[in-house]
Amino acid sequence: MKRIAFLAVTVLVGASFVVLTGLYFSKSSAQSTLPVLAATSVGMIDTPNGAMNHAVVELSSWPDSVTGDCHGSDGGNHPDWVTFCSTTDLELPAHSLVTIKISQYDGGETITNAYFAQVHGTIDGTATVDGFTFTQIPADSVGHTFTIHGIPSPSQDDLFVSVPLQLTEAEGETPKVVEFSFYTGSPGTYFWNCEFPCGDGTYARFGGPMSMQGYMAGHISVV
Amino acid sequence: MTDTQVTPPSEAPAETRWWQRVEVRGIFWLWLVFTVVGLALSWVPAWLMGISASVQMDEIKQTMTIFTALSAPVAALIWAAMLYSILKWRHKGDEPPPDDGPGFRTNVPSVLAWTIASAILVLFVFVWGLLKIASVPVASAATDSSGVVSAPMTVVVTGQQWVWNFTYPGFGNIQSSELVLPIDKQTDFQVSSSDVIHSFWIVEMGVKVDANAGVITSTEVTPTRLGSYEVRCAELCGMLHAAMETHARVVSEEEFKVWIAQTQAEANSQIEPPAPEGAE
Repeated sequence: MKRIAFLAVTVLVGASFVVLTGLYFSKSSAQSTLPVLAATSVGMIDTPNGAMNHAVVELSSWPDSVTGDCHGSDGGNHPDWVTFCSTTDLELPAHSLVTIKISQYDGGETITNAYFAQVHGTIDGTATVDGFTFTQIPADSVGHTFTIHGIPSPSQDDLFVSVPLQLTEAEGETPKVVEFSFYTGSPGTYFWNCEFPCGDGTYARFGGPMSMQGYMAGHISVV
Repeated sequence: MTDTQVTPPSEAPAETRWWQRVEVRGIFWLWLVFTVVGLALSWVPAWLMGISASVQMDEIKQTMTIFTALSAPVAALIWAAMLYSILKWRHKGDEPPPDDGPGFRTNVPSVLAWTIASAILVLFVFVWGLLKIASVPVASAATDSSGVVSAPMTVVVTGQQWVWNFTYPGFGNIQSSELVLPIDKQTDFQVSSSDVIHSFWIVEMGVKVDANAGVITSTEVTPTRLGSYEVRCAELCGMLHAAMETHARVVSEEEFKVWIAQTQAEANSQIEPPAPEGAE
């Protein structure tokens, strides 16, 4: 009897340790430590789907983390890394029309997959750059992309949006201003990242800033 | 002289055959029960794999059920011997158990029995696997359900951190982020990667193949069920590996033609902004 009790306590302690460790890591991975940028509501807007809340988010993309001032004046731990600013964790309202405006201060090269030089998932499949409406940019003039992953899930709506950000001639000085809009559905959690390989030399240039949230990737919470 | 009473030698005990031994009988009955339960539940692993949306998934589930049924008596023998040993030969008391008895001598019939039985089982599984692999045609003509021979449709699948991209060479190289397939049409996937190693997995269709940079790997599928299914990456490929998912949508032939026409029209009506001076 004593042995069985000892055995039961041992199994219980072991199982509790595994469960608590799992809960800790799942909670810590779900909670980002990055600052969250909430979309600013600018009122109601008429859409083909009826009157909807209209919210706006403004971001910028930079050739390095010193020029982009969201990692500290010295560029933080990785001053030479390309980065989006002011943060990469966004909070968007559910069932709304969301407009994202990105000031693109970086140069660019030829994108490896021309599919991501096209606009996908926005209203009318279009975006604007410096006021010019477009559906794709030449594959050799891509600076970055803003790509939200459409993850199939029974618990949240699909949301796949991908917009190429054209390179700017005056790197770090005069931006290309890219603007696009899309509809959000029910609340959910999404990921977005840049699909232009602009990281360091590892993992086919998907290493470094491409593989760290806060630089070229982040969360989107639809609330 | 004293009387001495001579005790006659006791009769030699009747010889007990091995199958009459109590422990053999105990293990046999346990084995029988476990085997029956295992056979009765041999459909469960295939059921847990979820719905089947392709000919290939049907075959995988059939293989899973047959292999489970074949392994039931083998697993049952191990469980029976283990359970019987634990229950009947468990040492009781606070003192440590005595030393082991002498080791078993070899038993030619039993060694022959398990060797031959194992060889037959392994050979069956081996031959079954070879036949199933040989039945997966690669980019060959296929016969549809109405008996008409048709060439398979080719889809180029490209994995890229952390998205899937599908190109249809037979339809003007149109591209899509979701996989759209016509029902009952054999499709040949040409799978590769733009960067690191990914693994192209259509869960409900039983398709899973590595996507390597610079290498094209071929596999094929024939969807048999309308609906939307999951495409995942099954190879840990970096930070957003868990988010590298998209849809595989199986539609009717007519819907597929409409989708192709729409996608081609979109591809042909692209509007480009003026090229910046810094473009290469």
